[in-house]
Amino acid sequence: MTRIVTMTVNGEERELPSPVNRTLLDVLRAEGGLTGTKKGCDVGDCGACTVIMDGKPVNACLVLAVEAEGADILTIEGLQHGPDRPHLLQEKFMEHGGAQCGFCTPGIVMMAKALLDETPAPSEDEIRFALAGNICRCTGYTKIIEAVQDAADEMNKARAQ
Amino acid sequence: MRRFDYYQPESLEEASALMADLGSEASVIAGGTDLLVEIKEELRKPLHVVDIKKIPGLKDYRYDAEAGLRFGALVAARELEIWAPVIEHYPNLRTAVSALGSIQVRNRATVVGNVCRASPSADTIPPLVADGASLSVYNRGQERHILVEDLFTGPGRTVLVPGDIVTGISVPPSRPQSGRAYIKHGRRKAMELATVGVAVSLERDGNTCTEIRIALGAVAPTPIRARNAEALLRGRAIDPAAIAAIADAAMAESTPISNVRASAAYRREMVGVLTRRAIGQAMGGI
Amino acid sequence: MTVHDHPVATKQSFSVVGKSVKRSDTLEKVTGSAIYAGDIILPGMLHGKIKRCDIAHARIKSIDTSKALALKGVKAVLTHENVPRVLHYGSPHPRSASVTKDQYILDDRVRYWGEGVAAVAAVSEEIAEEALGLIKVEYEPLPAVFTVEDALKPDAPAIHDNGLDNNNVLPPVIVERGDIEKGFVEADLVIEGEYELGRPTAAYMEPNICVTQWDGNGKLTIWSSTQTAFMVRGALAEVLGVPLNKVRVVVDHMGGGFGAKQDLFQHEFLSALLARETARPVRMEFTRKETFFGGRSRHPGKIWLKQGFTKDGRITARQARIVFNSGAYGSHSPGVTNVGTAAMTSLYRCDNIHLEGRAIYTNTPIAGAFRGYGVVQTYFAIDLQVDEAAERLGFDPAEFKLKNAVREGDIAPSNHPIVGHGLEDCIRRGMAESDWYTVRKAPKGDGVKRRGWGIGCEMHGSSAYPGIKEQGNAIVKMNEDGTVTLLTGTAGLGTGAHTALSQIVAEELGVPFEDIAVVQGDTDVVPWDIGAFASHTTYMGGRAAQIAAADVRRQVLAHAAPMLDAAPEDLTITDGVITRTDGSNRSISLGEAVAPQRGMPAIQLVGVGTYTPTKSYSFGAHFVEVEVDTETGEVAVLQVIPVHEIGKVIHPIAAAGQIEGGIQQGIGHTLSEDYVIDLTNGRSLNPSFVDYKMPLSMDMPPIRTIILETAPDPGGPWGAKGVGEDPIIAIGPAIANAIHDAIGVRFRHYPITPENVLNALRVKLKEA
Repeated sequence: MTRIVTMTVNGEERELPSPVNRTLLDVLRAEGGLTGTKKGCDVGDCGACTVIMDGKPVNACLVLAVEAEGADILTIEGLQHGPDRPHLLQEKFMEHGGAQCGFCTPGIVMMAKALLDETPAPSEDEIRFALAGNICRCTGYTKIIEAVQDAADEMNKARAQ
Repeated sequence: MRRFDYYQPESLEEASALMADLGSEASVIAGGTDLLVEIKEELRKPLHVVDIKKIPGLKDYRYDAEAGLRFGALVAARELEIWAPVIEHYPNLRTAVSALGSIQVRNRATVVGNVCRASPSADTIPPLVADGASLSVYNRGQERHILVEDLFTGPGRTVLVPGDIVTGISVPPSRPQSGRAYIKHGRRKAMELATVGVAVSLERDGNTCTEIRIALGAVAPTPIRARNAEALLRGRAIDPAAIAAIADAAMAESTPISNVRASAAYRREMVGVLTRRAIGQAMGGI
Repeated sequence: MTVHDHPVATKQSFSVVGKSVKRSDTLEKVTGSAIYAGDIILPGMLHGKIKRCDIAHARIKSIDTSKALALKGVKAVLTHENVPRVLHYGSPHPRSASVTKDQYILDDRVRYWGEGVAAVAAVSEEIAEEALGLIKVEYEPLPAVFTVEDALKPDAPAIHDNGLDNNNVLPPVIVERGDIEKGFVEADLVIEGEYELGRPTAAYMEPNICVTQWDGNGKLTIWSSTQTAFMVRGALAEVLGVPLNKVRVVVDHMGGGFGAKQDLFQHEFLSALLARETARPVRMEFTRKETFFGGRSRHPGKIWLKQGFTKDGRITARQARIVFNSGAYGSHSPGVTNVGTAAMTSLYRCDNIHLEGRAIYTNTPIAGAFRGYGVVQTYFAIDLQVDEAAERLGFDPAEFKLKNAVREGDIAPSNHPIVGHGLEDCIRRGMAESDWYTVRKAPKGDGVKRRGWGIGCEMHGSSAYPGIKEQGNAIVKMNEDGTVTLLTGTAGLGTGAHTALSQIVAEELGVPFEDIAVVQGDTDVVPWDIGAFASHTTYMGGRAAQIAAADVRRQVLAHAAPMLDAAPEDLTITDGVITRTDGSNRSISLGEAVAPQRGMPAIQLVGVGTYTPTKSYSFGAHFVEVEVDTETGEVAVLQVIPVHEIGKVIHPIAAAGQIEGGIQQGIGHTLSEDYVIDLTNGRSLNPSFVDYKMPLSMDMPPIRTIILETAPDPGGPWGAKGVGEDPIIAIGPAIANAIHDAIGVRFRHYPITPENVLNALRVKLKEA
């Protein structure tokens, strides 16, 4: 039973075909051409597939594509402001060495974005709490946390001015 | 993921009738964070999946000092986690919902789903049991109420029958001089299934404990009340000796299994330690 | 935070090397545009899946695939009956004597629970998965063994017929130095202990994946997540019976490997065969569960260790028997056994040594290569026992380790002299940074929670020499605008290797870092490469790149010399400009110097670098504070101060990132990570991220990383050495020793679980 699912993906209305037993993750990757969202475990344990759905971070592997009918989805590809204009979080991940193998990175950047949307000046503990569902096996999280903290500081400085 | 048919009923009547018709081959999907994993891992093989997210009225949650807390079947764990009345009045439930998977999971997972999944280690069940919470169940025009405590018949099994749609959960209001706590024990700080979960809700008058309920998770085929332990404190003075005796009684009431997460002996020992700590925390919260 | 000491290096000032330039691979990674093997989507692509057995040891009586083949959408099914039967290596390190040829693509026999027995290609993943359920396999069970003790028994079933008795994967590795008997006679104190090793696994974030496609000329292209593209090419060509120029392996980005992605896996062969049979591209991706079943873990096993010590704190004798559990196939067991055993000659000085290392087949999942390669295990045993000796002899453990630390001129495990005093420097620096004497004397607490500090030490070689005579290659081309293209075969498994190599080329050539582009990961294009492992990429691949860059530099200067009326040796290149060194300030930009001119085409500027290294050693000492909850047995690591001596640092942030990530894995291995096999039937009990417990963001402590450059090795570029594996080695003993400091209990195994802690405290209470 294949359906056409209509959703807004990175600001663009998309009609993506999907059987009812396929996840948003698989459909975004295969039909949407958005392979930045990664499949690390497919059961909600690793966070590599984190996308922002209707303003909230979710695991795309735990959402059926048909459940996303009418939803507004932001993926890693939609975060930058344009070609060669990365989002500040992306800049900071580059600067601080927050990405090594990079496979967890899109999910972590999306989770960090969701965190900063809700908590603009998070403490280190709040960052660690927010990233609890994102497994990074390369960095020990040290540089990821530095990157998020630095991005938050810079955004807040910009807001204050 | 194996094949299934997918339905999106738009009313309770429709959903209930559908579930009654489809019988045991059907599963309800709300948040889907458990169901989809179970389907992928072939732990559950439903031929029909009934999505209840189009049914109106299941997304509400409210609190007042008289009626307590009430939340619908579609309320996500994360919504309660960050909602001031829950933070203020139900720190035990707050701890439980904050410890359920990740924020990503909690944005989808519903508390009602966590309860109905009937996992012995489900985080939200012990505090709800300790607080005397009840479920509202709709079945083809009829509504009934079931104490959360009475819901479970075994791991993953409940008293619910085909056609039952759980519409929400009500938690009694917190009373003066009452305190509550939930402690989850696992091998890491997050993304964890409880090795042991202990919830204590109690009321006191001076140094006398007037009421206490202890609920234990992951140490029996279902979440359980530690009634013998409770009886040791109810109406008595709260002192270290009494607390130690309660901890021992709670250990005796648990019947844990050994698995890759922990041995039965360790789980039982943790019931003692955490019961003591939870009583301390609950007292501290008064 | 990274603290630097000034390097002892031949070059006085660096313009690119030693600076944390923006990594060339991260823009793609943070924006989601980096292409991993699983992101290759081809027209008409089929999805392959592997049917895995649910029995630990059996002969396959029959496989019925008829129902699967009849399912709509299924295009092919493979079993042992219709795949080539070629015995092949699991880990075909070229030129290495220590490899084991013991695998078939699919065999008529299964040797561990979870081994692949059949493969399906279908038009969708869902259909392929459904088809697996329709394949009926009938097994004739064989007796199975899961522990090395059982596998060594005379009546144990022979898992392979390799001519060796008692399931030995290889003949015992014996390493001897001095006179062991004399050493024990000289000892005032002899300590003997058995150390038991868990089964941690790499748990890289990107599950194993490949996409295969045959073109009309019979050429296979495989996009695969592998650290060793040329080995995959070699083994596929051999097993499929095609020449090397008909196999192209492509690896752009890969989502981690940590050593464990340097085997040939069943799916790589099966995907290629399914693609050939169906004449369509085939994608095969492991589920997370399959990365446990079909992946490679660190070798579990046991180490019996006995050492003799004098009252004045010298080690007079060291005797050990190491028995590694190889699992069902040999994979890297020969290498791991050789490296792990030989490593025990070193770290802490001792002249009289007798070591015996073995690896034994069992009916459990395959142990293979994994960061720390045998050394994690053997240094865990040595460091713990040396810590214990310090206590019993009345020494401070850090002082005792410093006193016995391996140093300049000592003979390394590779049998050549150690360069410098790296380990001593690390210990001294860590003692100062941690305020060691103060923190060790601080009260441990008398309540439920107790705190303690520990130190653990390590050293590790860059390159697999002498086990493998390695070779690094690079090609550097200068384009006609003066920009540079580096061709390297080394895999980008996430360490920032390509950035480091580009920095080295930029430094050597005197051009800005931004002018270097890297071409990598395509066996048809780049020079031959042995693979990214053994902490050798910067050391060996970097040196090769440096040699290639120097070659281009020579050619460019020869070409430009007449333009500046100077001899090539009187010219220098800085920031992309060639300048006369005679003070005349005459200069020309590289772009101008090499540009095509009217009537003259661009010149060909290609430099080739080949480097055959021996080995260098990097060193580390970790200082760790833990807190133990004596009621629950939980151990929390509160802080880590890792001090590493790695020679010239090319990219400080990337180097620190390696260290911090290694610590994360090491904390996991020591306290919570263990891939558990049911010893009654061989079944995997925790093949998931729910029950295979890695430390996550909330569990990780602050890490204060310190990198020293005090013992540069002449073998690496400007003295650079490896760092990839080192950090995972020292953290384990540091934690175990810190637990002892906190609660007075010495554990001799990992992982140290809360339950172990409580049981040990109970025993201690009883004894007291």
